[in-house]
Amino acid sequence: MAAMAETPKTLKQTPKKSLKSPPKTPIPHTPQTLASPRRSLRFISSPIQTNQTISPANTPKTTIRSKNTKIKPSKSVDSLKDDKIDTLDAFSPTSPDRTEPKKRKSRSESVSARVNPRVHEKREIATKRLKPKRRVYYKKVSYDGGEFAVGDDVYVKKREDASSDEDDPEVEECRVCFKAGRAVMIECDDCLGGFHLKCLKPPLRVVPDGEWICGYCEGRKLGKNVKLPEPPKGKKQRRTAKEKLLSNDLWAVRIESLWKEVDGSFWYRGRWYVTPEETAAGRQPHNLKRELYRTNDFADNEMETVLRHCYVMTPHEYAKAENEGDDVFLCEYEYDVNWHSFKRIAEIDNNNDEDADEEAPHDDDWSCDEDSDSELSDDMEYEEEDRYNKPAPGSTPAHEVAANSRKGHTFGLQKIGTKRIPEHVRTHKQTELEKAKATLLLATLPKSLPCRNKEMEDITAFIKGAICDDQCLGRCLYIHGVPGTGKTMSVLAVMRSLRSEVDAGMTKPYSFVEINGLKLATPENIYRVIYEALTGHRVSWKKALNLLNDKFSNGVKSSKDDDRPCILLIDELDLLVTRNQSVLYNILDWPTKPNSKLIVIGIANTMDLPEKLLPRISSRMGIQRLCFAPYNYLQLQEIIGCRLKGIDAFEKQAIEFASRKVAAVSGDARRALEICRRAAELADYRVKKSTSLPNTGKALVGMSEVEAAIQEMFQAPHIQVMRSCSKLGKIFLAAMVHELYKTGMSETTFEKLAQTFSCLCTSNGITFPGWDTLLRIGCKLGESRIILCESGASHRLQKLQLNFPSDDVSFALKDSNELPWLTKYM
Amino acid sequence: MKIQRTVEEAIVLLRKRLCDPDFIFSLFSDSPDSNYSKLKFIVSSSVTEACNNSILLLGPRGCGKNAVLDLVLEDLLKEYPDMISVIKLNGLLHCDDNCALKEIARQLCIEHELMFSKMASSDDNSQFMIAMLRECGLAHKTVVFVLDEFDLFAQGKQRLLYSLLDAMQSVSSQAVVIGISCRLDADQLLEKRVRSRFSHRKLLFLPPQKDDLQRLLKHILLLPTDSTLPHDYVTDFNSRISNIIADKKFNEIIDKLTDADCTVSNFVRFLFSAVCCIDSKSGYMTLENFKFALSTVQRQPKLDCLKDCSILELYIMVCMRRLEFKEQESYNFNSIMKEYKTIYDSVQNVDNYSRNVCLRAFEHLLDRQLIEFADRGHNQCIEFRSVKLLISPAELHQGLKSNRSCPAILQKLMNQEAKFVANG
Repeated sequence: MAAMAETPKTLKQTPKKSLKSPPKTPIPHTPQTLASPRRSLRFISSPIQTNQTISPANTPKTTIRSKNTKIKPSKSVDSLKDDKIDTLDAFSPTSPDRTEPKKRKSRSESVSARVNPRVHEKREIATKRLKPKRRVYYKKVSYDGGEFAVGDDVYVKKREDASSDEDDPEVEECRVCFKAGRAVMIECDDCLGGFHLKCLKPPLRVVPDGEWICGYCEGRKLGKNVKLPEPPKGKKQRRTAKEKLLSNDLWAVRIESLWKEVDGSFWYRGRWYVTPEETAAGRQPHNLKRELYRTNDFADNEMETVLRHCYVMTPHEYAKAENEGDDVFLCEYEYDVNWHSFKRIAEIDNNNDEDADEEAPHDDDWSCDEDSDSELSDDMEYEEEDRYNKPAPGSTPAHEVAANSRKGHTFGLQKIGTKRIPEHVRTHKQTELEKAKATLLLATLPKSLPCRNKEMEDITAFIKGAICDDQCLGRCLYIHGVPGTGKTMSVLAVMRSLRSEVDAGMTKPYSFVEINGLKLATPENIYRVIYEALTGHRVSWKKALNLLNDKFSNGVKSSKDDDRPCILLIDELDLLVTRNQSVLYNILDWPTKPNSKLIVIGIANTMDLPEKLLPRISSRMGIQRLCFAPYNYLQLQEIIGCRLKGIDAFEKQAIEFASRKVAAVSGDARRALEICRRAAELADYRVKKSTSLPNTGKALVGMSEVEAAIQEMFQAPHIQVMRSCSKLGKIFLAAMVHELYKTGMSETTFEKLAQTFSCLCTSNGITFPGWDTLLRIGCKLGESRIILCESGASHRLQKLQLNFPSDDVSFALKDSNELPWLTKYM
Repeated sequence: MKIQRTVEEAIVLLRKRLCDPDFIFSLFSDSPDSNYSKLKFIVSSSVTEACNNSILLLGPRGCGKNAVLDLVLEDLLKEYPDMISVIKLNGLLHCDDNCALKEIARQLCIEHELMFSKMASSDDNSQFMIAMLRECGLAHKTVVFVLDEFDLFAQGKQRLLYSLLDAMQSVSSQAVVIGISCRLDADQLLEKRVRSRFSHRKLLFLPPQKDDLQRLLKHILLLPTDSTLPHDYVTDFNSRISNIIADKKFNEIIDKLTDADCTVSNFVRFLFSAVCCIDSKSGYMTLENFKFALSTVQRQPKLDCLKDCSILELYIMVCMRRLEFKEQESYNFNSIMKEYKTIYDSVQNVDNYSRNVCLRAFEHLLDRQLIEFADRGHNQCIEFRSVKLLISPAELHQGLKSNRSCPAILQKLMNQEAKFVANG
């Protein structure tokens, strides 16, 4: 930001801390309003008041800057230094376009049940669409001296008469001396006020690490009546855009689409951000000062209303944004305006990505005419419209659609969301162990994927070759390897990097379909899934098969869009094997057809799957293969170490031990990660439960925890169960072992066993409990599979067999206190 | 009259305690080594740290796997209201994948007040489940899947487990899968790709030790001093209980009980029948109560059966036994009748019954499962199908002795044989 250019960058923000505290930028100097007496209280109390009666003075959102606004010289906002831009005339109150609100009003009456004041604006689209001429959509618009692109965040003017703020200072002033100047400023984490280091009492020399709270806030917290220094007379208190936003005098939106209307005016569709005060839950104690919520509420406005850029970031970006300036906000949650509930914003927003993916080729690189482009957008809007027309909370449930059966679109999920964001999620500071646990999760995607470079290169080469080469036959790749060796992950990583290449225009676009054989109800369903993924239509599998046959073998193209190559990833391929193997045959036959442009990547565990199949299938599939060998211990160590980089929670030998152990058993990376996670969990448990030594800080995961985790994972707990058996149960087991030694046969019948049992009892002075009790004891042992037995109904003919080696039994019962004599029978 | 009411109140209180697993298992919940705190730690860390876990609760039946889990979930629901939704499935009911997915969708819908359609296909349901997992994860809500009789889910292709566990490793979800099984090798039943996705936490539930049982006994039987019950009665009752517990004979009873089966559920059943036979006039527990309870808990069903058999039925069984003794491996009703004839011919004082009557008695024995058919042929007549005796000679011997109407000759016939065994 401009203001930052002049202030020395003294602050090194540590990423981990700044999640808790907004970046303490050496603050752009701006006049500060003290407390915010003008903060409109109504927004704090009820963010959803009806605002249907629009007074011209207070028309929210629809305010449009007068047309005669001078377009400022092409001086980008970024280049504005601390010279105060006089934007007075730009914000001069003008009567808003009266026709618009009227139109809206009439429309909004139909939706008056909805209480949100912003809602009615969505309705505009409907009217707009009636217009005969087309809009022209843009990805990027240069307007009013700034460049605005889809996906940018901007400030939006809220009302015309934001009287006291005639100017829009880019720089902040010190709260004590009320001057800007070049000296370093520090921002209070509580009131966001800026202070010169030298103006503080006592003055600070350097900006301190960690959170810093100014003396005034501290005083206020202690219950003192603190008076902030009054500004010198005559000097106006000015507020930055940030402050206005936070006190609800400005709004922020995210631009979702940009277009030029028929009459030449520029419009955008924006997604509102709200401040915590505007939500139903109000400001919660864990809310940060610079926190905003993204809503699911859209509105169309003219570009005139846009003030300038602001930067709403995810916590991750926010942590990294060091000295970005004043217009930086944090947004982690989405706020549902209908249900007043919060939901985290998914880190990879799949929907958006797909949309972007759809649009990207249309944009300019892969030329398409404008018509299709705008059609596409219109379609999108219709869909969105549908989404908005879902029943509002008050509506009757009769119209509600079942959530689980809507042809692939789940319905009603917007209902899910917390009414309040749980405090522990935000305020809890992670210990090293917890961080280690989080990073070892299977679900967390590591930044880099070590140890599979060669395989990934192979896959990339295969796919690229297949995409670029038009006439290559039999484009089939069979990937095999034991579970947990990164097969699917590598393919997906390759696809991700390819996609980014497509986005950059280096590779031709393609469609990618991912299917998991185990998630299909029947193997035949795969046709339906493929067809749906390619076209979006749902048909029965037989029809889908016909259509796909047309498409791939006969070369019938339904639209020009169809010409893209298609990559089909089938996970757990072995599940598709049917009796006559027709499914596999069909799928593997298509790539051999000329012009099919189909590439099949099959993944399975068994190495010899092609050989087990009919020859006509194996000849189509078995040509190109890629083997994922189990990881060896060095690789496992690298995988774990790569995830744990920068986290000091594990002893070095502990990791090595775990990886050696897993490499010896299976070479399964998931197992290795789970063992380490479990070990960290055990250590964490020990630390948290031990009250005697309160937080010694360092709690390293050592060998003992790893050992325990390995035991838990790989060992059946039968020894412990045998030890804790009832007394007669132990004798029963001993009798089984005795019987085994006597006869040499592993299988015995209950009758023989009972005789042995009674022998043992009489010779050791224990009363024989009776056959029925004995049978019950045997069945109990059989239930937990210590022995294998038939059902108890066959009584004396019941067949019994030990499920574990007899050595285990003798080991378990060796030093039993109550029955020391058992050893001599084993 | 008033005393009577007090006694009734006390008995009701005791019974209530015995029927409430929460009360019983709350005793073991405080120590850090207990399964309660371990399980609670795992589940709550999943809630607070947004991670996925899968846990197996293993152990013999009657050790409180379900009870402890319920206790944990109850506590966590109190601690984090609105943040946990529990989906419960039972392997006996939902081992079919489609049916299980439907049930999951149904419970998710109820939990989140969504409409549920019975008509949805299983694809729809599984997509819905994955979408819900994702959304719930984003809303900081944890979904806990409780799979009771976990081993029954590990049959066939294990599609349900695969899709659950796969969703947990790829989606930003927040879910815990808790499998409960009495099979110790439950995790070995999983297919290898499912096993690889399972996070292999195991909690082992073992029957309590002796001193734990003592604590449990006091925990349950001692009346609370701060209740509405009259103070004198409570102190009197409690002192008597303490006396009984200190009694040597009582300890013998407990030993006898726990020697056979030392699980908590068995122990509680024993105490319940003991409480049930408190004499409401005196209003105190006696040693007799416990003795009686032991006899009701440890029953010998086959012996009881033999006790009630008619003489003809006993004859048939003895005949079968004799045939077996002659090392005739397979025999049917006709050969039994032949044996019966030879007995009748050789020994006096044996009643002669007609063949039809004998057949009726034979069928009766089949119904009682004292004998059973050896083969599976269904088209044959009963007379010609080969049968087996299900009770052992020792039991038969004991049964003859305990049957009062048993003629001496039958015992003699058995004894002859026993002598043969002894000599041979």
